[in-house]
Amino acid sequence: MRQDFPLPDVTWEPAREFWAGASRSEVLIPRCTACGAYAWYPVARCRRCGEARFAWTRMSGRGRLFSWVVVHRAFLPAFAAKVPFVAALVALDEEPAVRLATNLVDCVPEALDFDMPVRAVFRPLRFPGVEREVMAPMFVPAEG
Amino acid sequence: MRAVADSDWGCPTPLEDIAGEIAIVGVGESAHTRASGRSPKEIAAEAVERALADAGLPPSAIDGLMYAPFMGGQFDAAAFHAYFGTSHDLWVSERGGGMVWAGTAPYDAALAIRAGQARYVLNVFSVAWATQRAEMVGGPGQVHAEDLVKQNIEVPFGWFPQPVYFATIARRHMHEFGTTAAQLGAIAVACRRHATLTPAAVMHDRPLTLADYLASPPLVDPFRKEDCCLISDGGGAYVMTSVARARDLRQPLIEVAGVGLGNSYTGTYWSQQGAFTSTPQVFAAPGAFAMAGLTPADVDVLTLYDPFTIVALMQIEDMGFCRKGEGGAFVEGTALHFDGGVLPYNTHGGMLSHAYVLGIAHVVETVRQVRGEAAAQVSDAEVGVYGGYTGPQASTLILRRR
Repeated sequence: MRQDFPLPDVTWEPAREFWAGASRSEVLIPRCTACGAYAWYPVARCRRCGEARFAWTRMSGRGRLFSWVVVHRAFLPAFAAKVPFVAALVALDEEPAVRLATNLVDCVPEALDFDMPVRAVFRPLRFPGVEREVMAPMFVPAEG
Repeated sequence: MRAVADSDWGCPTPLEDIAGEIAIVGVGESAHTRASGRSPKEIAAEAVERALADAGLPPSAIDGLMYAPFMGGQFDAAAFHAYFGTSHDLWVSERGGGMVWAGTAPYDAALAIRAGQARYVLNVFSVAWATQRAEMVGGPGQVHAEDLVKQNIEVPFGWFPQPVYFATIARRHMHEFGTTAAQLGAIAVACRRHATLTPAAVMHDRPLTLADYLASPPLVDPFRKEDCCLISDGGGAYVMTSVARARDLRQPLIEVAGVGLGNSYTGTYWSQQGAFTSTPQVFAAPGAFAMAGLTPADVDVLTLYDPFTIVALMQIEDMGFCRKGEGGAFVEGTALHFDGGVLPYNTHGGMLSHAYVLGIAHVVETVRQVRGEAAAQVSDAEVGVYGGYTGPQASTLILRRR
């Protein structure tokens, strides 16, 4: 495993643009250049039409809270200082079939609700013993 | 044969009709333990030896071996020969082992037996994950941590490992269908009760009530630790042959009546599965029941690959034991208990309370139930079903006493 695990490897080609976008406070998702379908997770060919070219497309950063958990046990030592935290799936407004794995932040877990509107904020991923940090899209409750 | 059409999130694998061609004639398990210090091969050898004794067959009779090489350290042909001091030819299939393959190995074995490639086929699987966890190497999360997609877009947010994935699915199931913690708890309590009646179960001495379950603190809310399977060392094996040869062996005739296999296009990327609160049993079970000429109502005992309570609940729905979304109400109270429940389920305790041997012990238990020799025996069980699961795939295996 990489020395800086569980930080993402921002040079890993299939998600390089995702992390580059996050560093500029943008949520970018690949979109098929032929049929326009969003392709998340990154794939070699469009699931709908087979096209191999994608354009990384800026999303509004708005979505709905699809589901979430409150993690009380650190399954990796790197998360020990973070528990409890909210890990979630957010369905993006432009294409709800695209669900981002993310964190809900600045929220009261008891106040979270299914399909509530959320918006992206950009926060650093930091882990103990890892000097580097990576800006990542996380989400906060938004006004409807 | 295919009773379910393809959908946007998965499809059945078409299978040939093998109903009534082969039988399971011997079953065996190793000891199921917490960290034992043993290797998977040592554990498997114990299970294989017991399965052969149960079948009344010498090692030299086994001419087919099925295992799961991707799991590492498994009981392969070299291990078989080294352990038994044999050197004969073995038909070998890498489509065996636990999980989904504990359910589909009889299908591949039936085709090999039909083709004359083998006569007596052994399927074997073992894990030493409790030992590995104590030594901080490997374990069920490792394969997910090493997946580059997960490593780069899921793990950084702590959406990892399996308890997190399935607690997220459970919460959505609760939202969509009104499923409650107490309903998930009923599954855990049924498994534990069965384990307390099963001397070989890891949790045989740890009773669990619904009140205990509800009082247990959150692990990955909405999951408590009782929603999650054990981590243990252990293994199992079973021997298959043609129904004709099985009639000459010592055990009651337990035929393979039906097999089904279903697939989810999004594989282990659960976050992207279109039908988020379903399993590929939707695509597996109908084919198996059609092959067997049976329906879910004919099933006397059910064993399900149960890494988490919610995975059992979803499979119960997806296999047709109740309607989708009604699983919570279906499993309440003692519905899953071996003595009088409407659907006796994981009568050895399952992965939640018996052992985390990834389904191989479930098939062993299912055979014992339809033979009538289980510890928590269902009265006059004739039809037993195993549901296997990996995420990308699910399998249904229907066994019937003849």
